[in-house]
Amino acid sequence: MTLLAWVSVAVFLAAYALIATEKVHRVAAALGGAWVMLLIHATNAESAFFSEHSGIDWNVIFLLLGMMIIVGVLKQTGVFEYLAIWAAKRARGRPFRLMVLLVLITAGASALLDNVTTVLLIAPVTFLVCERLAVSPVPFLIAEALSSNIGGAATLVGDPPNIIIASRGGLSFNDFLIHMAPLVLVLMGVFVGLCWLMWGRTFRYDPERAAEVMALNEKEAIADRKLLWQSLAVLGLVLAAFVLHPVLHYEPSVVALLGAGVLVAFTKVTTEQSLAEVEWPTLVFFAGLFVMVGALVHTGVIEQVSRAAVEATAGQPELTTMGLLFGSAVVSAIVDNIPFVATMSPIVAELVQAGGGESAQVLWWALAFGADLGGNATAVGAAANVVVLGIAARNGAPISFWQFTKYGLIVTAVTVTLVAPYLWLRYL
Amino acid sequence: MRARDLVADYPVVTLDTPVLEAARLLAEQDLPGLIVRGDEGLTILPGTEALRLAVPRYIMDDPALARVVDEAHADKFLRALGGRPVREALPGERRDLPVTDPDATVVELAALMARTRSPLVAIVESGELIGAVTLQALLDRMLGT
Repeated sequence: MTLLAWVSVAVFLAAYALIATEKVHRVAAALGGAWVMLLIHATNAESAFFSEHSGIDWNVIFLLLGMMIIVGVLKQTGVFEYLAIWAAKRARGRPFRLMVLLVLITAGASALLDNVTTVLLIAPVTFLVCERLAVSPVPFLIAEALSSNIGGAATLVGDPPNIIIASRGGLSFNDFLIHMAPLVLVLMGVFVGLCWLMWGRTFRYDPERAAEVMALNEKEAIADRKLLWQSLAVLGLVLAAFVLHPVLHYEPSVVALLGAGVLVAFTKVTTEQSLAEVEWPTLVFFAGLFVMVGALVHTGVIEQVSRAAVEATAGQPELTTMGLLFGSAVVSAIVDNIPFVATMSPIVAELVQAGGGESAQVLWWALAFGADLGGNATAVGAAANVVVLGIAARNGAPISFWQFTKYGLIVTAVTVTLVAPYLWLRYL
Repeated sequence: MRARDLVADYPVVTLDTPVLEAARLLAEQDLPGLIVRGDEGLTILPGTEALRLAVPRYIMDDPALARVVDEAHADKFLRALGGRPVREALPGERRDLPVTDPDATVVELAALMARTRSPLVAIVESGELIGAVTLQALLDRMLGT
């Protein structure tokens, strides 16, 4: 490797360490890394802004932007609060039933929307309902964070790592539905069983308290019926367009932007309001990451690493797949899974190509499952976990790092272990 | 017209006064806020902060939930305040009460209120709190109502 390649590796590792240790804000670390890469000519404007292989992945950025706008409008309607209260009433105030319904709603919503938004909307209702039932909200909140990460694994748009994997691997929405979603359904069933073992056995039903829950009126949660129907219609059309990609030939990023455009143009929500909900720092973080990883591609580092990986794993698809699955889970438990997947994607792309293209596609699923489910292992493994801990602390029900992690580790160990036979039996 | 002409007795609470008692004072005397005598001098408890303690955080986080709670349960929130002290209701960032002397002019008072965005100015003479001038009293005087 050239000196420039070695320097770019050092810059990348330094920025990665800053992101992992949170010594500086992750956006500053990613942009700082990109800044140095451009300064030392490890990459250039042509490569960083216009290259499909070594530049900013605009499909990822614009898919995230479009979905953020759609979610921003949807959350103003109160539909999540409606669903959660409806679930509490359907559970008739029985705590375990309530937990099951809430985790299923969280997982379902996380598969279609982003995980952080989902837990941000479900958590306040959880406090309200738990207060009425006089039960601790802590087990419910932990279960919701865990289920959002499991549910998010099911679809292309469910978790940011999936969006990156889809774009880099040329995988469609339907590919995720066919290869990820069936196992996620099984994992949710297993997760419900784990919820019973971890918490459900200790819950007690109190008929008087249950009556308090039944007194809630979920219809009051709907702020604007017209906006609700408009946003649900747009969300439905967007999902249909994702599924109909083979017929319509619209990329997911284009579909999300078209959907967001329809909502902004034809509802009472103003452009300013819809843009206010966009998490700009996250989008900039992605851009910085792509420039950094692109520099490694541009200087030939990724090619070298990929070649070494191809040689080391040649003729051992089983070992490669399992190594990728468990390795991704361990790394994602400790550091943010987004930079990890952004870095691994070009390497996995080479491995898939060397392994025979479509027949080696299992590596993408191993990476996706490992990164998505690994985030459950610790309180800092996924953004949804961090957000839940923050909400719990603000509402006087703090959850410690270890309190979360002891349950997270169990769920991660069980779910990732179940992925292994699935991948083995179906693809290897 | 000087501050001494506008000053009126004003209730003072301590950091340990129950919020519920403070809220009653606010309501009964139609006050915009209360003067709190704390470890680091005088501070102000705006009425909205007392309210903040009475509304669960998760409802403030999610306005859609506020509509779901009926009045019977809203009363429970208030009762749940129990004996929680004023110190818990004070804003995280300490807000010093604007203080001036009895010789301050009406314009000085108005400028002080506008600058500090406080509807209340404490009047102190020789280190002793002699009362406060409220926004309402000041406006009454300025507009001649």
